[in-house]
Amino acid sequence: MTVSQVVFILLSIAALGGALGVVFARNLFRAALALVLSFVGVAGFYVLLEAEFLAMVQILVYVGAIAILIIFAIMLSRRMMSSETQPWNEQWVGAVVVAAALFAALVFILSRVDWPATEAQVPADSISQLGQALVSPDFYVLPFEVASVLLLVALVGAVIIAREQ
Amino acid sequence: MEISLPTFDFLVVAPEIVVLITALLVMVVDMVIGREQKGRLAWVALVGVLAAGALSYYLWDGSDPALHDMLAADGYALFLNLAILVAAALAILFSLEYTGRVGLAQGEYYTLLLLSTAGMMLMAAAINLMTIFLALEILSISLYVLVGLNRAERRSAEAALKYFVLGAFASGFLLYGMALIYGQAGTTSLAGIRAAVQAGGEPSALLLVGLGLMIAGFGFKVALVPFQMWTPDVYQGAPTSVTAFMSVGAKVAGFAALGRVALYAFGDLQGDWRWVLAVLSALTMTVGNLAALRQANLKRMLAYSSIAHAGYALAGLAAGNAQGTSGLLFYLFAYAFMNAGAFAIIIAAGRFEGATGGGETLDDFAGLAARKPGLAVAMALFMLSLAGVPPLAGFLAKLYVFGAAVRGGLIWLAVFGVVNSVISAYYYLRVVVSMYMREGRPAAVPAPVCAGLQVGVALAAVAIVLLGLWPGPIVDLARVAALALLGG
Repeated sequence: MTVSQVVFILLSIAALGGALGVVFARNLFRAALALVLSFVGVAGFYVLLEAEFLAMVQILVYVGAIAILIIFAIMLSRRMMSSETQPWNEQWVGAVVVAAALFAALVFILSRVDWPATEAQVPADSISQLGQALVSPDFYVLPFEVASVLLLVALVGAVIIAREQ
Repeated sequence: MEISLPTFDFLVVAPEIVVLITALLVMVVDMVIGREQKGRLAWVALVGVLAAGALSYYLWDGSDPALHDMLAADGYALFLNLAILVAAALAILFSLEYTGRVGLAQGEYYTLLLLSTAGMMLMAAAINLMTIFLALEILSISLYVLVGLNRAERRSAEAALKYFVLGAFASGFLLYGMALIYGQAGTTSLAGIRAAVQAGGEPSALLLVGLGLMIAGFGFKVALVPFQMWTPDVYQGAPTSVTAFMSVGAKVAGFAALGRVALYAFGDLQGDWRWVLAVLSALTMTVGNLAALRQANLKRMLAYSSIAHAGYALAGLAAGNAQGTSGLLFYLFAYAFMNAGAFAIIIAAGRFEGATGGGETLDDFAGLAARKPGLAVAMALFMLSLAGVPPLAGFLAKLYVFGAAVRGGLIWLAVFGVVNSVISAYYYLRVVVSMYMREGRPAAVPAPVCAGLQVGVALAAVAIVLLGLWPGPIVDLARVAALALLGG
């Protein structure tokens, strides 16, 4: 087993273990902390794939902003901080069956796929190339602008929902 | 370092830009005008929608320009733009009095309505998995908030939460499917995926699983069985004008993207997805119709009816030929008028039955013909058209998609559709019978119907009659639009 395989397995344990923690934790605060662990594991995958910029963004945005905001929201609302939630309800049997079937089907199919992979090296100045691609009309400036509309929608929506009556 | 300024042909996305700017305008105007003048925002929104509609029609010169593999202003997108903008314009007309009556915040309401419209239009124009997803999220997030906008009503909040949680789940399926397709094709552009599909040999399992997951994601948005669970609760809980808008707009946008992905990107794998869509279509119409039979609440009944109609429209897609595609487009266009119109009558009925339960139940419609003959005639037209009675638009739309299914070798699906139409006639006619043959209570509040709503209802009713009697121009447009997608 190579070093990167060992690292991959450790990161997978962090990412999947964190995800399981989010689902099964009875306390919302602990669930949020488990979410941070899962995000960090995913950031590790990006480093392993030589996408350092993506890894930094993952840490900054998901861990630094989103998870911290969730934790703030939980701490600021007293009832959520102390109360225990019930992760199970009476429909769990059906849910387990469906989820397991989907998982089995995906594993069955995806394990036999011949994944196409390129031998190309990641360019050394990938960050500046990425920056230019984001604002270049031949690449991603249009989705970039459309994403700003999406953020506007989310902003307006959040204000409406959070506003006092 | 040399930086070139983007050269952009803004005309390609002019209708979308007009709608977006109008949305921003509504937001800004909302801040500066007084509380009692908020009603005027509707007119700002309406002007923007009509301008975008005129632009869509004017831009349609058969050149089918595309913006850098991201968006296309081809006939397919422009035709669907028209259907979406019809739904938006009708929804604005229906909202004029309703928003004030229910107490919705008008500035936010019209802003989100327009943003959602822009998202739907972008989705119809999207030719890249990235833009498809972004557009879908724009339209979905604005709809989640619109559904929950009625703060005074508990059911509205419940509907918004249900829609949001299930919608986010469906987005996950869609994204996973997109990721698998990207993994095989190495590109998010639909043209690139088409090339990867055509590359020959045995189709990769990644592509097929990806397509399957994407069908599930879109199936949620257009309410196909078995992804329809949310529909009745959300349609019932949402403010009725929002239901009128989303029941049409979200379906049109979902079918637009599904059509592009299936017919264009995966056009060469028809044999692999056609039977899936055919089975989903048969299931969807049957489950929708059987459930609609038992509903006493009209909003719920129309929700199940809209599920059934998603099934009929899907039959056009499952046919997999040019006639089926233009049939689907015609279907969506006709559906915009008849379905939005039917919800408008519920809005109107809620006004004068206000005290007795919101004008949503079948009993509220008893004897409507005696009290409001004009509304009753319009409602009867909408119901008959939804049932598919000739010579109305709904009949022709069904004729086209079922005919295409037969031509595509899916005779069993066409038989299913006809049998289902007969079943559906029962619950549609029940409304007509209730309006014309049952004694109603004397009106609780003898209130006049808002003029804007009357205009909207009249336009919708005239449109379904005209589309039924004189479908030529729209059918021709739909045919050109389908060819733009399939490459004539």
